[in-house]
Amino acid sequence: MGYRAETLFRLLKAAAPTMLGVLGVLILAAPIRLFEGFAPTPILPLVIVFFWSVYGPDYLPPLSVFVIGLLQDLLTGGPLGLWPAVYLVTQYIVMSQRAYFLGREQKVVWLGFALASIGAGLILWLVMSLLSGALLPVRHLMSQLAVTVLIYPLFGVAFGELHRRVLVEA
Amino acid sequence: MDYLGQDRREGLGRRAHSRTTLVLLILVSVLLLLSSLYSAQASVFKKAREGVMDAASPVLSLIAGPVAYVNGVMGSVGDYFNVMEQNKALREENAELRQWMNEALELRETVATYEALQNYAAPPEAQPISAFVIGESNDAFARSMIVNAGRANNVEMGQAVVNDAGLVGRIVEAGGDASRVLLLTDIQSRIPVYIEGADVEGILVGNTRSNPVISFTASADDVEAEPGQRVLTSGAGGALPRGLPVGTVKGEIRGGITVDLYANYARTRMVRVINYAFPAIDHVTGEGDAAPEDGPPSASDQSAADQPPAEG
Repeated sequence: MGYRAETLFRLLKAAAPTMLGVLGVLILAAPIRLFEGFAPTPILPLVIVFFWSVYGPDYLPPLSVFVIGLLQDLLTGGPLGLWPAVYLVTQYIVMSQRAYFLGREQKVVWLGFALASIGAGLILWLVMSLLSGALLPVRHLMSQLAVTVLIYPLFGVAFGELHRRVLVEA
Repeated sequence: MDYLGQDRREGLGRRAHSRTTLVLLILVSVLLLLSSLYSAQASVFKKAREGVMDAASPVLSLIAGPVAYVNGVMGSVGDYFNVMEQNKALREENAELRQWMNEALELRETVATYEALQNYAAPPEAQPISAFVIGESNDAFARSMIVNAGRANNVEMGQAVVNDAGLVGRIVEAGGDASRVLLLTDIQSRIPVYIEGADVEGILVGNTRSNPVISFTASADDVEAEPGQRVLTSGAGGALPRGLPVGTVKGEIRGGITVDLYANYARTRMVRVINYAFPAIDHVTGEGDAAPEDGPPSASDQSAADQPPAEG
């Protein structure tokens, strides 16, 4: 491999989690109506933020998280700054507990993700309730978070393979 | 899985655990949130939203194609299993609709007769613009759709969006070739409506649930509406044309009446944006080119026509 191609590959690897986050936002904005709208689309960027905050914070710096969140705000039409705040606070909390998660069983990490999602959902609900001046119904939020937590193992394994085989090793 | 989490500085962020940047960016987000709260319509934010929507619309269109195909296949698999019941239900509905059609044709004739007798000025015809849904906000608290028609197709802010069943929402952002539709279920949605037969007008208020609520002014008398009565746009404020079907009365809760929407958002693939021009008040009436008596009317005419839709 020439020097140029190698640099390009290195750059691609470094930016892979960020690009995955952007893809997650696009999937969130696409009209995917699982089971005729019965199951909400999972919040994939949250999985990505959580995963790389635990296993490779260098690959997903706060600025990337900020950009991913801002893009989500712009595409879903919500108040600007909402999702960056949710993702960045999640990243902050997860990174402070990083030492605990490293080397643990995936079951434990999954539980950690569930807790992180509940935290993220709480922030989201509090901010939106504050902005709209009324306590908002939580049912849709809870089902969306439940779907996100349920799919975590699948993406956890996929991202783990990607991180181990491509990003760190190769 | 301890092979994960090795601290190799190969990522985008060169310094591991850059707490300072993280905290700084959290502060920036909070500031942004506060500032967008006080200046939601600021031109910078608006430009950014429209720009991102325009930039994302080709990508979203690309994704929307296969998504629609897969949904179509999955939907038709479901349809195979209940094709018999559906056929039966459709036949019954068809018979019922035929009766309505006959009645409508008769009424059309009657109305035409009356219109001919009176000196009747028809309201301006709406010009529908067809568009596909290419994006959707899959967010717990924001309900909107992105459609692939924008200013290039004469879509403007405030216009009504309908599908084959009824009102879907209204345009809140019009980009170059994509626009955002605020759905009736969004917490920001406020649509003036009336209940057919009940002679009462109210505002349809979204609350993120699937059944928005009609709220009435505090001074209004007790409203008596029965489930099944039709709810239509009232056209108050001039933002939307009058008489677009919205839904049916579902029930009564404290402080309002819940509405079953006609539009099924999970099945909405194609919509029509109604390019409706509210008839401007014309001061110069009757005798041809009679001179205006009280000052130039143009200014007030303009303001009446260009009035932005009243929001919340």
